[in-house]
Amino acid sequence: MSTVLTEPSNGSKAEVEATSLDRPPAWPHRHLLDTDVLTWPQVELVLDTADAMAEIVAKRRPRSDALRGVGVTNLFYEASTRTRVSFEVAARHLSADVVNVSVGGSSIEKGESLLDTMRTLESLGARVLVIRHAVSGAPYLVAREFRGSVVNAGDGRHAHPTQALLDLYTLHRHISGGSLRGRKVVILGDVLHSRVARSNLWTLTAAGADVWVCGPATLLRGFKAWAAAGVGGERRFTVTTDIVAALRDADAVMALRLQQERMAAGLLPSTHEYAARYGLTAERLALAREGCLILHPGPMNEGVEIAPDVASGPRSLVKKQVANGVAIRMAVLALVTSAGERSDR
Amino acid sequence: MSAIASRPARTGAGAEIGRPVDLDLTGAWLVDPSTGREGPAELVVRGGRIDSLAWLEGASGDANERGVVVAPGFTDLHAHFREPGGEAAETIATGLAAAAHGGFTTVCAMPNTTPPIDRAAMVEAGRAAADASGSPVRLLQVGAATAGRAGEQLAPLGELADAGVVGFSDDGSPIQRADLLRHALAYGGMLGLPVIDHPEDLTQTSVAEANDGLVATVLGLRGWPAAAEATAVARDLAILAEVARDVPSARLHLTHLSTAESIDLVRRAKAAGMPVTCDVTPHHLALTDEWLAGARRWAWQALDDHGIPRDPWRDGALESEPYDSALRVNPPLRGAADAHACVVGLADGTVDAVASDHAPHTQVDKAVEFGLARRGIAGIETVLGLLLEAVDAGQPSLLRAIEALTVGPSRVVGDAAGAAPGFAEGAPADLVIFDRSARWTVEAEQLLTRGWGGPLLGRSLSGLVLLTVAGGRLAYEDAEPA
Repeated sequence: MSTVLTEPSNGSKAEVEATSLDRPPAWPHRHLLDTDVLTWPQVELVLDTADAMAEIVAKRRPRSDALRGVGVTNLFYEASTRTRVSFEVAARHLSADVVNVSVGGSSIEKGESLLDTMRTLESLGARVLVIRHAVSGAPYLVAREFRGSVVNAGDGRHAHPTQALLDLYTLHRHISGGSLRGRKVVILGDVLHSRVARSNLWTLTAAGADVWVCGPATLLRGFKAWAAAGVGGERRFTVTTDIVAALRDADAVMALRLQQERMAAGLLPSTHEYAARYGLTAERLALAREGCLILHPGPMNEGVEIAPDVASGPRSLVKKQVANGVAIRMAVLALVTSAGERSDR
Repeated sequence: MSAIASRPARTGAGAEIGRPVDLDLTGAWLVDPSTGREGPAELVVRGGRIDSLAWLEGASGDANERGVVVAPGFTDLHAHFREPGGEAAETIATGLAAAAHGGFTTVCAMPNTTPPIDRAAMVEAGRAAADASGSPVRLLQVGAATAGRAGEQLAPLGELADAGVVGFSDDGSPIQRADLLRHALAYGGMLGLPVIDHPEDLTQTSVAEANDGLVATVLGLRGWPAAAEATAVARDLAILAEVARDVPSARLHLTHLSTAESIDLVRRAKAAGMPVTCDVTPHHLALTDEWLAGARRWAWQALDDHGIPRDPWRDGALESEPYDSALRVNPPLRGAADAHACVVGLADGTVDAVASDHAPHTQVDKAVEFGLARRGIAGIETVLGLLLEAVDAGQPSLLRAIEALTVGPSRVVGDAAGAAPGFAEGAPADLVIFDRSARWTVEAEQLLTRGWGGPLLGRSLSGLVLLTVAGGRLAYEDAEPA
């Protein structure tokens, strides 16, 4: 794991301009496990590649041959609809051979180790493993031994890199001026348990946004120290329990899903109290800048972390996030497999 | 290796183990914590017994502390040999062999086997397995504090004491019920034996994965707070204070302390004259939670000149892949400030002993997702190497480090350990010889433990153990240099 470099590295701009599906640009990462290893030029390369992919998606019969004959296996140890389907659609648009594996419960309950499952799928022709797992870091274990590419589709509380990239892509497309530099972006809610928040902290701070993280104190545990240390040891963000301060003059707000388990764990008194104090309502949004963008990684608990009229209001990008997710995942699949072809391993 | 040139040539592997040893050691650096003396010396062992020890003065003592060192055999207060029930991870025989490789001549085995050691017959069975192994390393047994380690009623402590256990512990778990801890301290005190507690408030650690700090936050690992240890230590000490007034022979030993707060609590309790001792592990001295993120520097390298922990992301110190399950251990690897507090506690005598907490596991249990991996590091063979890294970095001193491996732990288990560590003439030789200047690379093929993997594989450590002699008999001998 290395830190994100915010300075563009030389030559990257030319590579970005040369981007095309026929000739994949230089991309060093055989796996995508988190956004923390991406330099800013690499992030831009993902977004630019996603632009090209979005053109394919927009066609009446979206199809590219970029991954023809490539086995893409979705290995999901946690229930997921949108992420799994999004990866599946993305892979099919690229003509990959898609296999879906859903495993109820943990690998231990199933009685076969994660590494054994990986080896089986590898023998069955998987070149790309898209992994969703409840344990933080699980994709790193697979990536150490898998000969192809591993794409993290969400591990525990740790990371959800394609979500962060699609969030960034969506914000870039819709924010006035097209850049997040200096713009106030608020991540609101259950930050402690959120892999979406963690991956977004790397990309949003790299994009130069003024990132605020807001929620009840029990769901911010440890984040003040991270904010003080800075993401990557340098890029500061702001942590507050004060939703008024957080929302004031915000350019974008990303509400996070609140799981019922938080009440049982004693972290919160009730969903009702959470909604009353931290729910994203139209009234509270009046504090934000006019035209403040609204994001949510889904699935939403409408009436808890986000009010229904906000979720479906004119500034909501929730549906756009879902659509952009396909283009981003196409870009990621194309990029990691291009690195795989170059790799000796 | 002139200092040990007179030792008999190695004639093969296990066949020689257990034979009486003759040694003529001249010009080695001898460290004797029992007298507080170290320096060049001449040591003669005949038929396994110390024949003579002469300290060399002046020019005749050209040895130095960076060369070949002779010390009393080490005592490990805390090891898991997994027999019965976990023989795929370790047996008493493989555990004793690994101990000898680490320089240990006495090992206290923890009772959390399957089933746990909570009856005299099980103590006897362990002793028989140790005898059958042929290893001269002494196996001492810690008995369970509660029946079945279930934490509900006292184990038959008197029966276990009669069978020769050296203390009582539910290690692996704390004694959760405060009333039972109280009774165990009093009853154990009556028997002249310590209660060895694993201090952990389980309500704070039920789903915990990593030290509650920056690394856990960034990696999305569930936080294991330092307070979970400190509150347990504080509880234990409060109970001990009362019990000791009633039963003056009551003794509490706190094992594998890992935080600055708990070290400080023990320091103050000792200053108040309370009958408490404690140990730390080498991995809590030398490794930190940064390693989970991929850093591979020692704990003392992770502090800046002002004693403030460095940020491995800012430093670019992350060189390995994150989430290495070899690093999953209980208590978790802490931050650099906590590790420093453990080193300071060791140097100033608050910490009585360095114990391995040797906790071997199989590949099946360890080569899995970080949060699902069994907790433990099989480190009995790297205790000396890690301690010498700390010594080289400035503290503790070599003498103090050796003390924490010999007379320190010996004091905790008292007379049960047998003869006090040292070089008394006529006594059976119990010693380790290591070469401080010889570095060795930790590799699976070289380790004698059956435990799988480990965070130090591939790393170079100093202090190659050349010879271990337990009770006058050969316990380990390094292969002849090529």
